[in-house]
Amino acid sequence: MIAFLRFELVRTLRNVRFLVMLVAFPVLIYLIYAKQHGMSQGLTVATLLLVSMAVYSGMGSAMFASGPQLARERQNGWMRQLRISPISTRGWFAAKLVQAILMIIPGLAVLMVLALTYGHVHLAAGRLGELLAVLVLGTIPFCALGLVIGLLFDTQTAQVAQMITLLVMAFLGGIFIQWSDLPHGMQLIGKLLPSYHLAQLGWNAAAGLPLAMSDVAALAAWTAALGLIATWRWRNESTTA
Amino acid sequence: MQTTTTDALPAVVFRDVVKVYNGRVTALDHVSFEIARGATVALLGPNGAGKSTAIDTMLGLRTPTSGQVRVLGMTPSAAVAAGKIGGMVQTGGLPEGAKVSELVGLFRQLYRDRRSLRELLRLAGITDLADRRADQLSGGQTQRVRFALALAGHPDLLFLDEPTASLDVEARREFWQSVQAIAEQGTTVLFATHYLDEADANASRIIVASHGRVLADGTPAQIKGYTSIRTVRFSTPEPDTSVLLRLPGVGDVLTSDGVVTLRTADADATLPALYALGRPVRGLEVGGGGLEEALLALTSDDRAPGADGYPGPGRAVPATSGPAGHSASGPAGHSASGPTDDPASMMTKAG
Repeated sequence: MIAFLRFELVRTLRNVRFLVMLVAFPVLIYLIYAKQHGMSQGLTVATLLLVSMAVYSGMGSAMFASGPQLARERQNGWMRQLRISPISTRGWFAAKLVQAILMIIPGLAVLMVLALTYGHVHLAAGRLGELLAVLVLGTIPFCALGLVIGLLFDTQTAQVAQMITLLVMAFLGGIFIQWSDLPHGMQLIGKLLPSYHLAQLGWNAAAGLPLAMSDVAALAAWTAALGLIATWRWRNESTTA
Repeated sequence: MQTTTTDALPAVVFRDVVKVYNGRVTALDHVSFEIARGATVALLGPNGAGKSTAIDTMLGLRTPTSGQVRVLGMTPSAAVAAGKIGGMVQTGGLPEGAKVSELVGLFRQLYRDRRSLRELLRLAGITDLADRRADQLSGGQTQRVRFALALAGHPDLLFLDEPTASLDVEARREFWQSVQAIAEQGTTVLFATHYLDEADANASRIIVASHGRVLADGTPAQIKGYTSIRTVRFSTPEPDTSVLLRLPGVGDVLTSDGVVTLRTADADATLPALYALGRPVRGLEVGGGGLEEALLALTSDDRAPGADGYPGPGRAVPATSGPAGHSASGPAGHSASGPTDDPASMMTKAG
C-alpha cells in the first residue's frame, strides 16, 4: 500500500498545472473579499472567508485529486490491471484516501499564509491547530466522494458530475452564501450535506466554540457510506472494458 | 509456503462453467477443461469465442453464472490476492503521469516474490523505455510494458489475452522467446489467440473455442489436421455448379457474379481437374485452411478430422465463408506469400 501511495503521489505531483488550477480559484476569491470589514458569527470577514475558502478548496482538491483520473483509468483498463495484482481493496482505498488528503495541503497552506498576512487574521496557536485538524480530517468524506464519482461516471461525465456536486455542496452547505439566507427547502437539504457540517466545524473551531458531535457524526456517516460504495464498485468493476 | 498438496492440483480447473451477460448473451456455454501445471496452452478461437471471458473469469475479474473455476487449487480471487497469478488482459491500459520504471517498480513491490527490475525490463524488451512516460508509448510498447507487469510477481500461472495484438513481426518473435524462457522456469502459461500459427508454434496443447463452447482440444498436430481444407477462388463465365461439384475433393461450390468459390479437401487433385475442364479460369487464388474453415469443419458434423474434413455436398455454405465474410482468415488467397502479418498466410503455412 505504501508503494502504491508513493507511486500515486509521484505521478500526481508531476501534474503541476493541475495542482495550480485547483488552488487558484479559492485564493482569488479570498484576495477579492478578505479586505471587507464586518463581523459575522463572531468572526471577522477575513476569518470567516478563510474557513469558507479552505473548505471549498479542500472539497475541490479532494474530489478532483482522484475522481476524473479514476474515470479515465477505469476506461483505459489500468484499473483492470491493478485488480489482477495482489493489492487489496482496503489497501487501494486507503492509499487513494491518503493521496486525496495530501492533495488538499497546497491549497490550505496558501490560504493560511494569505489569511495571516494579507488578511490580518489573528488566531491563537491552539485554535489554529484545531482549525487545521478540522479542515484536514473533515475533507475525508470528500475524498471518498471523488472516488465514488470516478467509479460511477465515465470519462466524459465525471468532470461535469464533480463540478455540479462541488457547486451544490458549496451553495447548499452555506459556503458561498449564508445557509440561513437559503430558501427553507434548500436549507433542509443543505443540512444533510457534509459540506454544511464541515463548514460549521470550521467556523466553530475558528471562533473557539465547542465542536458539535452531531457535525462530526454526520461526516463520519458520509465517509462510511461513500467508502462502502467505493469499495463495492472497485470490487465489481470489470464491465466497462 | 506452498504445500505439496496444492502443487499437485491442476493449474486451472474449469468445470461446467456458464457465463451469461445481461441474461441474453451466452459467452461461455458449459465449458470444462483442466490445465496441468507447467503446461503451455493456447486458447484458440475467433472473436466472440469466449476466450477473453474465460481468462477474465480465471483472473477473478468476472464471476461465472454457474459452474466452478479453480486456479492453483484456490478461487481466482484468492490466487490473485496471494500474488500467484500474472495476467495481460485485453485493454489493460497504463496510468497517466508515470515513468515505465516507476510502473514496473510499483508492480514488483505489490508482490512478495518478485523479479528484479532489470530482469523484468530485459524480459519484456523495454530496457530502453525505462525513463519514458508510460502514457506516451506506442501500442506495441504499451503491450510490452504490460507484459513486464504480468511477470513482476514471478507468477506460477501466467494468463496472456491476445498478447501480440499490436506487436510487429520482430517484437512478436522476441515476445514468444521470453514466454518460452518463462515456461521453461516452470510457469504455467495460458494464452488466447486467433492465430493458429501462433498457437502451433508456442503451445503444447490447443483448446479451440467458438461461440462459448470448446470445439476441439488436443496437440497442435491434431488441431492442424482439421485445417486441411483449402478455398479455391476464380472467375469464369457462366459457371456450372454441378460440374464443379464433381471435381475431386470439392465439397462446396459458391458462385456469385461469375466468381466461384470452391472448398476442397484436396486442392492438389482439384486444380488439375479444374483446368482439364477446358473452360476459362481467371484470377485463381488458393486460400489457406483458415481457422474459420477449421471451425466450420469441426462444427459441421462429428466426422474424424482429416478423413473428409468439409461439410458434405448440399449443405448450405454459411454466410461467413462468402467472399467478404472471413473475419479470422481475411480474404482467402496469397498462399505463396512470404512471412507477413496477414493471418490468412499464417494459416496456410500452418496447414
